[in-house]
Amino acid sequence: MTHIDPGLTGAQMTLSPEEHRRLAKRYRRRTTLTAYAFLGPNLVAFVVFLLIPVVWLLVSTFRTGGVLGPAEFVGLDNWRDTFSDPLARTSIRNTVVYSAIAIPAVFIIAMILALALHAIPRGGAPIRVALYLPTLQPAVVAAFIFTFVLHPDFGVINYAVRWLGGDPINFLGDTTLALPTIAGIEVWRGTGFWTMMFLAGLTALPGELYHAAELDGAGAIRRFIRLTLPLLRPTFYFAVIFATIVNLQLFDSVFALTDGGPVNSTISVSLYIYRSLFLFGDIGFGATLSFLLVITVLLLTGLQTYLLRHRKFRLTTRPSTRNAALTPPRAGLAQAFQGRDRRSRCRT
Amino acid sequence: MILFVGVAIALVPFLYVVSTSFKESTSLFSYPPDWIPSPIFWGNFESLFADHPFVQWTLNTLFVSGAVTALKLWFDSMAGYALAKMEFAGRRGVALLLLLSVAIPISALIIPMFFVVRYLGLLNTYWALILPPLANPLGIFMARSFIVGIPDDLEASARLDGASEFTIYRKIVLPLIRPGLVVLGMFTFMLQYTSFIWPLIAVQDSDRQVLAVGISGLQSAFLQDWGLLSAGMLAAAIPITVVFLLVQRAFVFNDLSGALKE
Repeated sequence: MTHIDPGLTGAQMTLSPEEHRRLAKRYRRRTTLTAYAFLGPNLVAFVVFLLIPVVWLLVSTFRTGGVLGPAEFVGLDNWRDTFSDPLARTSIRNTVVYSAIAIPAVFIIAMILALALHAIPRGGAPIRVALYLPTLQPAVVAAFIFTFVLHPDFGVINYAVRWLGGDPINFLGDTTLALPTIAGIEVWRGTGFWTMMFLAGLTALPGELYHAAELDGAGAIRRFIRLTLPLLRPTFYFAVIFATIVNLQLFDSVFALTDGGPVNSTISVSLYIYRSLFLFGDIGFGATLSFLLVITVLLLTGLQTYLLRHRKFRLTTRPSTRNAALTPPRAGLAQAFQGRDRRSRCRT
Repeated sequence: MILFVGVAIALVPFLYVVSTSFKESTSLFSYPPDWIPSPIFWGNFESLFADHPFVQWTLNTLFVSGAVTALKLWFDSMAGYALAKMEFAGRRGVALLLLLSVAIPISALIIPMFFVVRYLGLLNTYWALILPPLANPLGIFMARSFIVGIPDDLEASARLDGASEFTIYRKIVLPLIRPGLVVLGMFTFMLQYTSFIWPLIAVQDSDRQVLAVGISGLQSAFLQDWGLLSAGMLAAAIPITVVFLLVQRAFVFNDLSGALKE
């Protein structure tokens, strides 16, 4: 403050163009340096534990193992092996079938529960905690719980089946039932998480729109289809992407429940990758399968982005902009866990 | 009504575990199954704590999850601030690269990650469990979405008052996004607490193992000892439930979906 240059008074406060350019450039350079300092720790982790592994994967798909001897370049051999391997195909099919069962099921159940929770004015907190408990368990724990519950000899479910006069069902020992059973267990575990997610989205919706719709005579179902679903699009977008990424990595529960059996009817891509490294030591093969998984997930999420963000709903509403216009940013974004909602609550 | 069915389905399997953990394994197969064990049998818990490093597993899990959560919240909020509020060369490029890598499934990277960690000499250490999860960029975008909502004028006025970027981050941004960070922290902690495949591979030493892997080892070591297994699961569920209950009081459940908006 004390060092005010006597020349810099009144009209002379404006800088000459060169001076301005020089200072602006220096400012930009400094900001860039600061920005990278802020990003630094993350970028280091990103390069070491994500970028290098991905590049390593790509290179390994063209080479032999390298565990016992030196790795050799083998061209497209690994790719040919992977595509002609029937078990690789089975593992891909299982993973896809599993995701196709688990993701829609968990979304529908979670949506119903979220709507129900949203509709009750008070006392939701214990219910939310109870619903969230399964989500807090590691998948292996859920797996063991259900091995027990579903056990053909002494599980409760088969106790009920027998009491009703049926034959006990061997849920995990049957080649057609095992995969849907695993999907069911993951749905049990995931429901709490997605319920909270959807509830958060629901609570953030603008109440005014619903009042207007109600006045116009729109019924509950119509309000849900015309208002809630389009308005929740950002939530759905996140949900679909995240669920796809997570579910295509299915490993824990299969590993704990069936280890891929019976007769490989539940082997997942991740389990096969794990085996190719730790059982067969065939790194080239495992790397190729891993790389395929990476590509698949990237393409799928890209496709979902294209479908969910840039088309369809856009024609009818523009939820992201409308949403932003009507709700103050972040304010009251779903006090899902607080049980009190300052915004007017409405039946959705 | 729907909610009661939902809660029942969520909770009944746990009751089963609770009841089983207090039974002697030989009386498990009584038919029909009785829900309330009599007499209450403590042997499963005794064996769990005496014969297995269960306390050590719990401490490992809490330490690793806590460290990952703390580091991630710190790094992600800094990176999120840079991406949300700073104009710098290559911003779009960095953002795009990070966004693309959100979609890279971690379990596809276990093989190269194993070799990277081995190359760094970190196999079988806590570092092997703490460092790799830091590369997951999803948290950056979540943090960024919290920070974007802060009005620019706030930092602009702080900047005029001579505050450095780091001071702005620490004194203005961090306090304002705390509710969001609590949610992100819980989310990170939970993912870490339940992670399985990576600890299974990166750590062989039973004393350094985490709960999820440790418990699954109980099964192979003592084939089908349901009582012991149930006791382990019950004991493993307690810490995370307590953490969740503690956090949920201050929980403003932010809409994390904002992470991928725009």
